[in-house]
Amino acid sequence: MSVILREEVIQRLGEIGEADILVGIPSFNNADSIGHVVRAVQAGVAKYFPDKKAILINSDGGSGDGTREVVERVIIDDFQPLLINQRQDLLSKIVTPYHGIAGKGSAFRTVFQIAKELNVKACAVVDSDLRSITPEWIELLIRPVLERNFDFVAPYYLRHKYDGTITNSIVYPVTRALYGKRIRQPIGGDFGFSGKLAEFYLTRDVWDTDVARFGIDIWMTTTAVANNFKVCQSFLGAKIHSPKEPSSDLSAMLMQVVSALFNLMEEYPGQWKEVKSTSPVPLFGFQFSVGLEPVKVNIERMINMFKLGMTELGDLWKVILSTESLSGLQETAKTEPFSFGDDLWARVIYDYALAWHGKVMKGEHMLKTLTPLYLGKVASLVIEMADTTAGKVEERIEALCIAFEKLKPYLIDKWE
Amino acid sequence: MGRVFVEQFKEFLGKIAGFLPNLLTSLVLFVAGLLIAWLIKSVIVRLAAFLKMDAVSERTGIVQVLQKGGIKEPVSRLAGRLIYWVVLISFIIMGLDALQMPAVENLLGTFLLYLPNVIVACAIIVSGYLLGNFLGRAVLIGAVNAGLPIAGLLGKFVKFTVFIMAVTMSLELLGIGKDTVIIGFAILFGGVVLALSIAFGLGGKDAAKDYIDRMLREKKEEDDIKHI
Repeated sequence: MSVILREEVIQRLGEIGEADILVGIPSFNNADSIGHVVRAVQAGVAKYFPDKKAILINSDGGSGDGTREVVERVIIDDFQPLLINQRQDLLSKIVTPYHGIAGKGSAFRTVFQIAKELNVKACAVVDSDLRSITPEWIELLIRPVLERNFDFVAPYYLRHKYDGTITNSIVYPVTRALYGKRIRQPIGGDFGFSGKLAEFYLTRDVWDTDVARFGIDIWMTTTAVANNFKVCQSFLGAKIHSPKEPSSDLSAMLMQVVSALFNLMEEYPGQWKEVKSTSPVPLFGFQFSVGLEPVKVNIERMINMFKLGMTELGDLWKVILSTESLSGLQETAKTEPFSFGDDLWARVIYDYALAWHGKVMKGEHMLKTLTPLYLGKVASLVIEMADTTAGKVEERIEALCIAFEKLKPYLIDKWE
Repeated sequence: MGRVFVEQFKEFLGKIAGFLPNLLTSLVLFVAGLLIAWLIKSVIVRLAAFLKMDAVSERTGIVQVLQKGGIKEPVSRLAGRLIYWVVLISFIIMGLDALQMPAVENLLGTFLLYLPNVIVACAIIVSGYLLGNFLGRAVLIGAVNAGLPIAGLLGKFVKFTVFIMAVTMSLELLGIGKDTVIIGFAILFGGVVLALSIAFGLGGKDAAKDYIDRMLREKKEEDDIKHI
């Protein structure tokens, strides 16, 4: 038994013995939303896996708002309104604080450990602040593992064309170009995975790094792909969270995501350098789209931020960026209407990856200088996509990805 | 007369004979110092290479700082040279002390009392420069990401304030113009703040108004984009 599990949890696992399915919910002060997630999990397991032994794990970061009590208390007594036949045994629950550094990664580590102890066949992890989760999510995350032998199921959400801009402009193009798998939302946050992969995750020595704090999502995806586990995607529909704290600062968020991405590049250079082309990843689930609601976007502010960066951060960018990128940015600043080319953007991101690799500056400072450039690229994409449909937006993102793929030899060449 | 001369000469010879062992000890210490300093320097340079000190210095910005000051030598060699001179000077001091000459002893006493202050003052200035650069850069980046048009000015202000504070502390430690430096710094710092306040309040009131208006307007027009 592992040292990361508490004595009472170990005892409980001994009573349970083994399980087929495990659903993990990491939490920290989510009392207002976690009840809905627990009910969705319970209904999903009852509806789609009535003959499987399932367990729900709430791995909590020390909530003070009664989150754990809500998980313990919430239960669906009557499945009839949901048109689900009553299960003979109720879903087992284990509510436990996690061990280690505060963060989603440490919460997941506890989930992986319990999956290993119970010899679980298929696992899913879902966020505790989801408003849009339905019982179908559990089926879509679990069934590809149980019945199609996939090891990792990435989520595929229905999103507004302007949403997920860090994913669309950086994470998706870079992971796709590097590792060769077209996983559309590598940092989705809700995943399915096999017991074998959970055990593999546990063997990695990352639990005292930033992976434990943030970056677990991209780490799980990349680890699965880079180590040749069988991956697929499931269409889950819209992902709606509880409203976030307004303090979630863009440059800090960007720094966290990009540093996790770059750290993984350091871990798997042997793998990504060998990848010469990309391939599609199977997508399960019934896809649909809805009309686009208007979203407020202040393009002028984004362009002004980009131009302010051009004026003030030039000396720092000279240390990070290549001369081609710098001259390209100067040209970009003069464009009317504003346009930030895909080739230039790919080069800029690769230059940052190379600068991170070369450790030319304190990492946090370096990645925070990316914010004005990122806003410039987002402004350019928003201008281009103003009158396009969701389908056209995907074509646009595809073109961006191809720019990253074409420029990959530049990255490989400069890496050493 | 002749006997007095002989006595004096004998006494002189006696003093020389008494002084010779001290001189010899002093010379031995100096030579030993040269050898030990060279040996320690070699060890330090190799240890620094093993610990990849040059790469770390480049990463932390120390190399850039030194290059700005015209020092192009690798940090590992610089550290070796510094240690070499510290060891050698220590042996020279021991050697001079071994001479047992009151005038030299007095001079050494004064020098030794002052030396730690000089070393600490140098360390404060170097640390102040590095910290000023680091904080100035952090403020500059933070201000740019907050969309402040005066980001560059803020970064420079923080950088120079930290450096000037370090210089003031060093001069105070060395006892150079003790009160004058502190008063000078207070006047300069207060003056700068006052000047900026007046400039911003009077000269730049329209600019300030525009800026605040823009900030409020942009606050109202925040994006609904979800970046993640």
